[in-house]
Amino acid sequence: MRFQDLILSLDRFWANHGCVIATPHDTEVGAGTFYPTTFLRSLGPRPWRVAGVAPSRRPADGRYGDNPYRFQYFFQYQVVLKPSPADVQEVYLQSLYQLGIDPSRHDIRFVEDNWESPTLGAWGLGWEVWMDGMEITQFTYFQQVGGVDCRPVPVELTYGLERIAMYLQGVSHGFEVEAAPGVTMGDLRKQFELQHSAYNFEHSDPDLQRKLFDAFETEAQRLLELELVYPAYEFVMKASHAFNLLDARGVLSQTERQNYVQRLRRLSEASARHYLASLEAESEAA
Amino acid sequence: MPDLLFEIGTEELPSWYVTQGRDSLAAALGSALKEARLAHGEIAAFATPRRLAVLVSSLAQHSERRSEKRRGPAEGAAFNSEGKPTRAVLGFAEANGVAASELVVEETDKGRYLFALKEVGGEPASELLPAMLRSIVESLPAPRKMRWGEVETGFVRPVSWLVALLGNELIDVEVAGVKSGRCTRGHRFLSPGQLEITEPLGYRQALRDAFVLVDVDERRQATWEAVRAVAASEGLEPLEDEKLLDEVTSLVEAPFAVLGSFDDGYLELPDEVLSTVMVHHQRYFPVRVSGGELSSRFVSVSNNKVPDIAVIRRGYERVLAGRLYDARFFWDADRVKSLSQHAWGLSGIQFHGSLGSMAEKVERVGETAHLLVAPLKLDEAEQAVLSQALPIFRADLGSGMVFEFPELEGVMARAYAVAEGMGASVGGALEDGVRPKGPDDRLPANRVGALLSVADRCDKLLGFFAAGKRGSGSADPFGLRRDASGLVRVLNSQGWGETPRVFLEAAARAYESVKVTVDESVIDDVERFVWDRVASLLAEEGIGVHTVRAATHGGPAVIMAARRAHLLHGMSRAEEFSSFTTLYKRAANLADRAPDDLQVEPKLFQVGEEAPLHRALPLVRKGIAELIELGRESLAPWDLGHGPNTSLPPLEAPLAKVLQIKEPLDAFLDNVFVMVEDEAVRRNRLALLREVRDALRALGSLEELEGI
Repeated sequence: MRFQDLILSLDRFWANHGCVIATPHDTEVGAGTFYPTTFLRSLGPRPWRVAGVAPSRRPADGRYGDNPYRFQYFFQYQVVLKPSPADVQEVYLQSLYQLGIDPSRHDIRFVEDNWESPTLGAWGLGWEVWMDGMEITQFTYFQQVGGVDCRPVPVELTYGLERIAMYLQGVSHGFEVEAAPGVTMGDLRKQFELQHSAYNFEHSDPDLQRKLFDAFETEAQRLLELELVYPAYEFVMKASHAFNLLDARGVLSQTERQNYVQRLRRLSEASARHYLASLEAESEAA
Repeated sequence: MPDLLFEIGTEELPSWYVTQGRDSLAAALGSALKEARLAHGEIAAFATPRRLAVLVSSLAQHSERRSEKRRGPAEGAAFNSEGKPTRAVLGFAEANGVAASELVVEETDKGRYLFALKEVGGEPASELLPAMLRSIVESLPAPRKMRWGEVETGFVRPVSWLVALLGNELIDVEVAGVKSGRCTRGHRFLSPGQLEITEPLGYRQALRDAFVLVDVDERRQATWEAVRAVAASEGLEPLEDEKLLDEVTSLVEAPFAVLGSFDDGYLELPDEVLSTVMVHHQRYFPVRVSGGELSSRFVSVSNNKVPDIAVIRRGYERVLAGRLYDARFFWDADRVKSLSQHAWGLSGIQFHGSLGSMAEKVERVGETAHLLVAPLKLDEAEQAVLSQALPIFRADLGSGMVFEFPELEGVMARAYAVAEGMGASVGGALEDGVRPKGPDDRLPANRVGALLSVADRCDKLLGFFAAGKRGSGSADPFGLRRDASGLVRVLNSQGWGETPRVFLEAAARAYESVKVTVDESVIDDVERFVWDRVASLLAEEGIGVHTVRAATHGGPAVIMAARRAHLLHGMSRAEEFSSFTTLYKRAANLADRAPDDLQVEPKLFQVGEEAPLHRALPLVRKGIAELIELGRESLAPWDLGHGPNTSLPPLEAPLAKVLQIKEPLDAFLDNVFVMVEDEAVRRNRLALLREVRDALRALGSLEELEGI
């Protein structure tokens, strides 16, 4: 199964399970969890089901394409189901069939793995799913997002698409994965990965990123006061990426790093509060 | 009488919770049945990653019938002038469901009262169980619970199904949005779908037939046998690792062992690196040539019996190869630099906030260690090892391998030092200097390593206390309690005669050399904190809190306190001991008023009871000295909290010597008036009591002992 077929199969599968198939958000994020369709929609009482491919950027994970599994730009497939359905494990296993993985022929296990994002003020409990010793999916029941208890509780599934594709195609490097007929992931992304690794580790301008962080933070705060939650949250995502670039560049002392994390957390929590207030205002108006 | 089966089916539980949850469930049900007065036979408990279950044999069908007597109004207030029951009496009778005429009068300590006799109990078990079982699920203790869906009840992982059967009767329990039924689930892949349980006693077998071993001990045994068998197929043996076996047992519902291999080339990596990668990251059992070195094989335990084992073996091997590839990358890359070059990296690693970098910390540790060389009498060879080890102590924190696998700290320092051609004792000191890493980790074997470990811990405790980072309650966010436990374990196992205070003061002086002043009060606080750890470790050895308090009084060397604790604990079993300690307390009370410097002057003795007490003193001192010597000889330094490796011989003989003082002391305290007018005589008598007290105090502060 080619990489693009993986995505298409998962889209089809989750669409059939009542999910909105969302296109990737056009702002850099470290994981699909940052998407407004995950972060904001996990809050409040309204049911919500969304799925889709989530390109993710983690500047510090770049390895100039050397490491077969680690990239600073990679694809997750992300599913959010709220409230979490009782049969979610079964449905997940059925989705593996769609990818050509018959769970009864493998050693599939749900191994405890709890998730916490200090910058999002969020945490959850769940598992990493192992297939024959390899982690292929993260499975998390969100307990808190933006410092607020989730009621009802959403469950988030994150498939590691590159790994699954490597496994299915029997190749040993992410770049060897065939994306489309005759086109590998390496063809698509090798230079991109190399140049961005060089940028992240060697050439990004820390002073600029610090200034950008400050500016994005101020802008997010200003917009929150205007109750423009969505635009404000865009700047939270941008600030988070600026922080990730600074972190990758190795210019943050531990204390300074902690300080940035706290600032991001405050922004995330404020976004969550304003979003919930806007939901209430909306339902009162209705 | 029918048996009761209760099973809580869940989504996969964390492996550490499986047996804990099983035990909590059995305990909770046991106490609930007791409270409801439902008699029962044995309680057996089971657990897998997907279920917790209890089987109660022969549960009484009704709660025990008994009559309860409830006290009502006093007889005097029970009847009005016409001899009719008052309103208070009528109300009381009604509240207890009996007629006023059925109340009886009984004599009590407080006078005559009316009593209602009420028959209670006899409720059918099937009526009591629904609420009982629901509340057990709702309140089963667990360190971290979660919510899911729209359910408000917390549990460790979502509850998927419930089975509650009393004999063949279904008990209706509804909790967390799930209703109980007769059906459990077999193995997720080998026996999908519902599995009806017809009667409680058939539970284990029904699940065994559905590829689930519900009994944890049985599954553990089966896992180990399966692992051994596949290793033995190539004449190899798995490394014994109880923790890994427990974990793997809790990760599978039934074990299927698979033997896999990796490239022989990776065997050049230190064994610890190989096992860390296999055990911690993959939960594979490392496999060795019988009694010897690691082989390029491993055993993984699958939770599924697959049609083609080659498929999953290939998967296991590929993941492991990826991780070993990383490990060898670090092994090669790290050795391009020497450990002293890695040590430069420590200045870029924060120790903690205001306490500077790891480089500064290691410098202070070196300073502390130097200050302790003389008191600990390190010989020349040891001093040479110390001076080679210090510049590269903890340098492996700057290495790629330790960054990737933090649990290999110390181990890598040794491996890299040896690879650089340094001696095994330097390597050992570097490795041992970061031990013990936890309550079950081994202690430094090497004296230099022990010194580094102690100096490092003292530095951390003082620094964090001085910075106001102490943690509170049961939380130990900075690992200070763990570090202090490690510190006293090392001190005790080395049998060092210096008090903890000596080590802490050395570490405080090292802070001065970097111009940080650690206040005396901070040292006091850390010292107390350290003694709390001693007390808690001694408690783990079964020594009572009062004995520990007596033995640790005055802050002696840890080994001294620990030996005294065991001596007092041993002596306290003797019958005379308690009357003896009572006497001691009386003497000690008065002795507190004695002038410190005064010698006893026999010429001032006036009554017959003084001289015998004075004459008994040398014998007592000798008895005490013998006891302490006995402790020293028979209790070789040990790992505190784990119990001495040897036990004390019978203490009767030396104790009898000490107890010889009982008679003269008794006579003295009963017949001699100490606080006489004559100052010289009074002071002399007080001084005599002080000497008695001081002689006995060599065993500890006996006034702390229980029962005094």
